Amino acid sequence: MKGASPEPRTSGGAEAAASLFELPPERAIDTRVARRVIGEFIRGQLRQAGFERAVLGLSGGIDSALVAYLTAEATGAERLLCVLMPYHTSSPASRADAEEVVRRLGAASELVDISPMVDGYFGADSDASSLRRGNFMARMRMAVLYDRSVTWGGLVVGTSNKTESLIGYTTLFGDSACAFNPIGDLYKSQVRQLAQEMGVPETIIRKAPSADLWPGQTDEAEANFTYPQLDRLLYWRIDKRRSVEEVVALGFDRELVERVDRMVAGSEFKRQVPPIAKLGPRTAGIDYLYPRRRPGSARR
Amino acid sequence: MQPLRIALAQIAPRLGLLDENLARHRDLIDEARGQGAGLVVFPELGLTGYLLQDLASEVAMRLDDPRLAKLAGATTGLSAIVSFVEESADHRLFIAAALIEDGEIIHVQRKLFLPTYGLFDERRFFAAGDVLRAVPSRLGVGLGIAICEDFWHLSVPQVLALDGAQVLVNVSSSPGRDLASTNEVGLGTATSWQTLMRTYAQLTTSFVVFCNRVGVDESISFWGGSEVIGPSGEVVWQGPLYDEGLFTVDVSLADVRRERISLPLLRDERPELQLRELQRIVAERAGLAPDSTAETGAEAGLDLAPPAKVSPAIGFRSRR
Repeated sequence: MKGASPEPRTSGGAEAAASLFELPPERAIDTRVARRVIGEFIRGQLRQAGFERAVLGLSGGIDSALVAYLTAEATGAERLLCVLMPYHTSSPASRADAEEVVRRLGAASELVDISPMVDGYFGADSDASSLRRGNFMARMRMAVLYDRSVTWGGLVVGTSNKTESLIGYTTLFGDSACAFNPIGDLYKSQVRQLAQEMGVPETIIRKAPSADLWPGQTDEAEANFTYPQLDRLLYWRIDKRRSVEEVVALGFDRELVERVDRMVAGSEFKRQVPPIAKLGPRTAGIDYLYPRRRPGSARR
Repeated sequence: MQPLRIALAQIAPRLGLLDENLARHRDLIDEARGQGAGLVVFPELGLTGYLLQDLASEVAMRLDDPRLAKLAGATTGLSAIVSFVEESADHRLFIAAALIEDGEIIHVQRKLFLPTYGLFDERRFFAAGDVLRAVPSRLGVGLGIAICEDFWHLSVPQVLALDGAQVLVNVSSSPGRDLASTNEVGLGTATSWQTLMRTYAQLTTSFVVFCNRVGVDESISFWGGSEVIGPSGEVVWQGPLYDEGLFTVDVSLADVRRERISLPLLRDERPELQLRELQRIVAERAGLAPDSTAETGAEAGLDLAPPAKVSPAIGFRSRR
């Protein structure tokens, strides 16, 4: 990215964080407020659904680590189950990082190797692309989590961040599937800022984000941008409603802007409930509109 | 004049659970009375929760509802402002706040401005009120009640003050958003509200009492931060962000007189001037009178001419 951009005032926290990762100044948040709001959100979601426990998939990456910390703080670590679901090509370092989170939090954990499920389906089909395999793995993990939701008696907590959701870097009904998501409105840089505030292990905060779908994969190499750059661009385009011309004037590369715009538009379907053909007098989501949690909706 | 003890119930109502919220209100009214409060204020839709959608009709109450009468019965010896979904005789649903004193509903203020933009969708589910009145109270001062978004319209605090309110009470369900480290409280919504309330208190030389809820409805978290601002715009009391509680604040109503004597802004208001100019503007915007301040070529009701040379669609032809 080139050129100057407006530099809002930054907090001391944002500057102190600079050593661990790059935080675009306009994306710095008050982490104390975020922590408080998210804690209330998690407790509220569980209470309104009639649950006390939560379950999440812990990959060893920063997003699920942060959600584990936030959930443990909100509910108490004893009410959290972390499920580690490696495939045989998954990085051993990721698993070690996940185990470190479990150890530090003192939460319950389970290891479910998804290799037999995935290999059992694809078998000798060597034509299956990495994309197909990666999506299938994400959906197997979803299936495991929803089964563990029953055995553990807890709601599945989502771990997708705002950046990957906006560009569609998620698997529909896979990693995006959850009962509620505490960090879905935080950009990746803000996830890092909050993770540091929460005391997530530094190795997890520092390492390159990866879907870990094949060895050596990193998000940024795959998509050819950096998260701080992408977060700033999405912030100005979406949150601040700036036009393409305006963000180019802010110093963003036009080719990048147009590419990201296409990714956002092309993944709209992943962020919405599938449409129902409108036929009857009252149709869910159209003219039958109730809060998800209403009197009588909680598990008894 | 006696000091007034105000109790602010910064609570998290349970969504759609009217009976549970009614019981909570009665308990808190008793608690406030026990603490010597003369006025207890509850947040917008404190009896029902905010994000009701199609539940609105299911929790709506007529003003003769026995459940309201029972709640009113708990107000012996004090004043309470409570908020709920009111169903009118012609079956319109309003977001309403009622002043209840000594067992009687004294006044009902219906929400005038229903935000239907951004994260709000109120106009879909509710009717807008048409009446704005200050009301004398047993406290010896005029009260002006406004509901949340009503305070984002300048006319509301001004009309209430001109109508005799010395204490402006805003009851809110304000969702916190715009988390940022670039402002002092870390929350854009809180900064905006605080600016408004200080300004209104100063310009109307009145107390401003702001009671905002806490808790979570679906995706949105309500930020609390209830406040009492004195008639010179100074902060008398500031509640915590996000914490639930019944908080009491003592105010000296004599401050209103002092401020209005030393800074007679309200005395110098010119409502007749505003009325004349507003009548002109309303007529012009309706296309019922030529707009004396519009650009040449502007369509009736608009102040600006179209960019291209097109004929106005309706109303007066341009004066060429």
